[in-house]
Amino acid sequence: MAQQEREPASDGRTDRSLTMSRAMVEAIAHEMREDDDVFYMGEDVADYGGIFDSTDGLLEEFGYERIMDVPISETAYIGAAVGAAQAGMRPIAELMFVDFFGVGMDQIYNQMAKNTYMSGGSVSVPMVLTAAVGGTYNDAAQHSQTLYGTFAHLPGMKVVVPSTAYDAKGLMHNAIRDDDPVVYLFHKRLMGIGWMPAPDGPKTGVPEDEYTIPFGSADVKREGADVTVVTLGLHVHRALEAAESLADDGIDVEVIDLRTLVPLDTETIADSVAKTGRLVVVDEDYRSFGVTGEIVASVVEAEGGLADLEAVERVAVPDVPIPYARPMENEVIPDADDVENAIRDVHASE
Amino acid sequence: MVSVNELQSMYENMVTARHYEERLQEEYLEGKQPAFDISAGPIPGELHLAAGHEASGAGVCQHLRDDDTVTAPHRPHHIAIAKGVDLKRMTAEIFGRETGLSKGKGGHMHLFDPEVNFACSGIIAEGCPPAVGAGLAAKKRNTDSVAVAFLGEGAIDQGAFLESLNMASVQNLPVVFVVEDNDWAISMPKHRITDVANGARRADGFDMPGERVDADDAVAVYEAARAAVGRARDRNGPSLLEVQVHRRMGHFMGDPEGYRPDEDKAAAERRDSIERLEADLRGHDVDDETIDDLRDRAHERVEEAIEWAKDQPEPEPADAYEDVFVNPASGVTDSEPSVAETGGDD
Amino acid sequence: MSSDDDRVAVDTDDVWPEDTDEDEGVVVNWFLREGSRVDAGDDLCEFQVEKVSVDVPAPTSGTLEEIVLDEDDEFERGNVLAWIRPD
Repeated sequence: MAQQEREPASDGRTDRSLTMSRAMVEAIAHEMREDDDVFYMGEDVADYGGIFDSTDGLLEEFGYERIMDVPISETAYIGAAVGAAQAGMRPIAELMFVDFFGVGMDQIYNQMAKNTYMSGGSVSVPMVLTAAVGGTYNDAAQHSQTLYGTFAHLPGMKVVVPSTAYDAKGLMHNAIRDDDPVVYLFHKRLMGIGWMPAPDGPKTGVPEDEYTIPFGSADVKREGADVTVVTLGLHVHRALEAAESLADDGIDVEVIDLRTLVPLDTETIADSVAKTGRLVVVDEDYRSFGVTGEIVASVVEAEGGLADLEAVERVAVPDVPIPYARPMENEVIPDADDVENAIRDVHASE
Repeated sequence: MVSVNELQSMYENMVTARHYEERLQEEYLEGKQPAFDISAGPIPGELHLAAGHEASGAGVCQHLRDDDTVTAPHRPHHIAIAKGVDLKRMTAEIFGRETGLSKGKGGHMHLFDPEVNFACSGIIAEGCPPAVGAGLAAKKRNTDSVAVAFLGEGAIDQGAFLESLNMASVQNLPVVFVVEDNDWAISMPKHRITDVANGARRADGFDMPGERVDADDAVAVYEAARAAVGRARDRNGPSLLEVQVHRRMGHFMGDPEGYRPDEDKAAAERRDSIERLEADLRGHDVDDETIDDLRDRAHERVEEAIEWAKDQPEPEPADAYEDVFVNPASGVTDSEPSVAETGGDD
Repeated sequence: MSSDDDRVAVDTDDVWPEDTDEDEGVVVNWFLREGSRVDAGDDLCEFQVEKVSVDVPAPTSGTLEEIVLDEDDEFERGNVLAWIRPD
């Protein structure tokens, strides 16, 4: 279903800023008020309000029947979301950390993602699977991954990765209304949680009224003429920081926030590379067989793309699990300096 | 009957574990006040402390040898201590140091000490299948070692646990499953996630003995574990134990516990297995001086471990690239000269 | 122009978490800027005590005239976070 970006009905109050978690929650609350078929299942989503504030305050308004704490049985409750969705409801199921996907993956990729296709389109699975992603706080190999590429690789799931409060709200409205399964991956470091301070950037103005952001529309977060940086999630902000720093040296960087991996907005990327000729892809997922390679391939395959491309760099997590200790985690998760260096490299190459 | 020596050994383990968690709490909160930033301070990341769980680790591990396998969950310290994991290197790991058990790669949820066959995992119930595997290896190799999988009561609804119970049972493997029931799966009370208050009843469904030990009684845990471990060692198959413990410190450090009634927390503090074991020791005519000595020795050991750990070097950033494989990855490696470099066959 | 006496202080006394012995907090997020129009009860900002986050509602309707304590500022219970000029 093609979607048009729906602007908010009225400006609402434009001077209000929200954290990303509050923007997500506002969209969920709106959809729940509008549609009794929407409900939320997960661990610690009721009284706790989500370990990363993803459901903060919802229990008070909607009660335990619709903000459901469930047993720690991912196979059962994610599979139950699939079944409820096929029965016509619009469940949202939360996987506390995306790293826990293995525990319920069969329901995710053999049911949620495939039932529509296997049924020849006669069955739809209108559910949202939310999950917290990302490192930068030393939680080690089983609690720090993003796994963007894993979900995007397997056909049948739309994959959403917001980087700002404004985007998070519009994308969440769209995710809940979408008739297909949507995996909505929110980065812990962007949520605006007191105990995990966010960088400047994800807290943005957010209209009080509803609005949708269509899937497959990347957002140019910064326009520039010299180098294209394509990224998502936390690294949108790290790329913007690198771009600011490089502006002082006269290097004009364009930063593209993918916002969704499936569908992928290859047009915006190709147009930008046609302009700059130089591409840096930045990802917090593992380097090999993932997002960075896919983006580069999409540019190369685009008409005239190979001719446009003068230089390319990938910046991603080297192919190691995320280590615990600070010096090693800092080494493997790309920071603004790593992005800056890669931009300088492609800019300098003849 | 439990001997005085064994009581003293359990007591020392439990006091060590309690003091360890109290001291780690202090170290962890350093640099995290007044603003709690999870990535700040000498110990970053999540930290799940086990104060109130001591009787379980000490009572069960009292029956284990170094060649017996233990798998623990994300709240592992008291079990590791009772299993005899190297305290200094474990502490260095928690502080993210180069000489830590995992060279700083694992952190507190991922402690491995092959010397005493101890491992833990940050994904709940995930230690159950490897424990079944250790039992399978013991059976195939015809040794009399056993395996014990510890898990929390929040983990009993995982397939990994239930499938493991079944496999251990049908293959008659020397495995003991120990569920530490602290009443809370983070913020979810036990009644919200299971209708079966007595978790030991699940054993019935797998044709194995199940026993629940209430009230943080280390001696009762010891007795129940003696039967279960003995049964495994004698090749009579697996058992399930559920041990009532209490969570004295929140799910993770910094957990505001807004969901938890005050009375529940107060009750956890009142039911102290360590005080109870002290009374047992006195009942066995152990005098106060001896008890004080045991406690002082335990505290000293903890202080030494923490001091040593904090003195250890941090890993180098490039160490991150080591240890993905034990053998170098096969195929073309960096050490193999490329055709461009060698000029090829011509 | 009215005097400063007309302004209403925004502080944390009413919302300070009960279960803490801590008297120091940190401002985590402001949701409105100086000059914004506020209705009584609107969430103005969020502060943190230990690991608990607490929202601070506007005590009255009016204009958020001055933000005294910015994000990441530490403060003691009772300190004024901001001033509202009532309607």
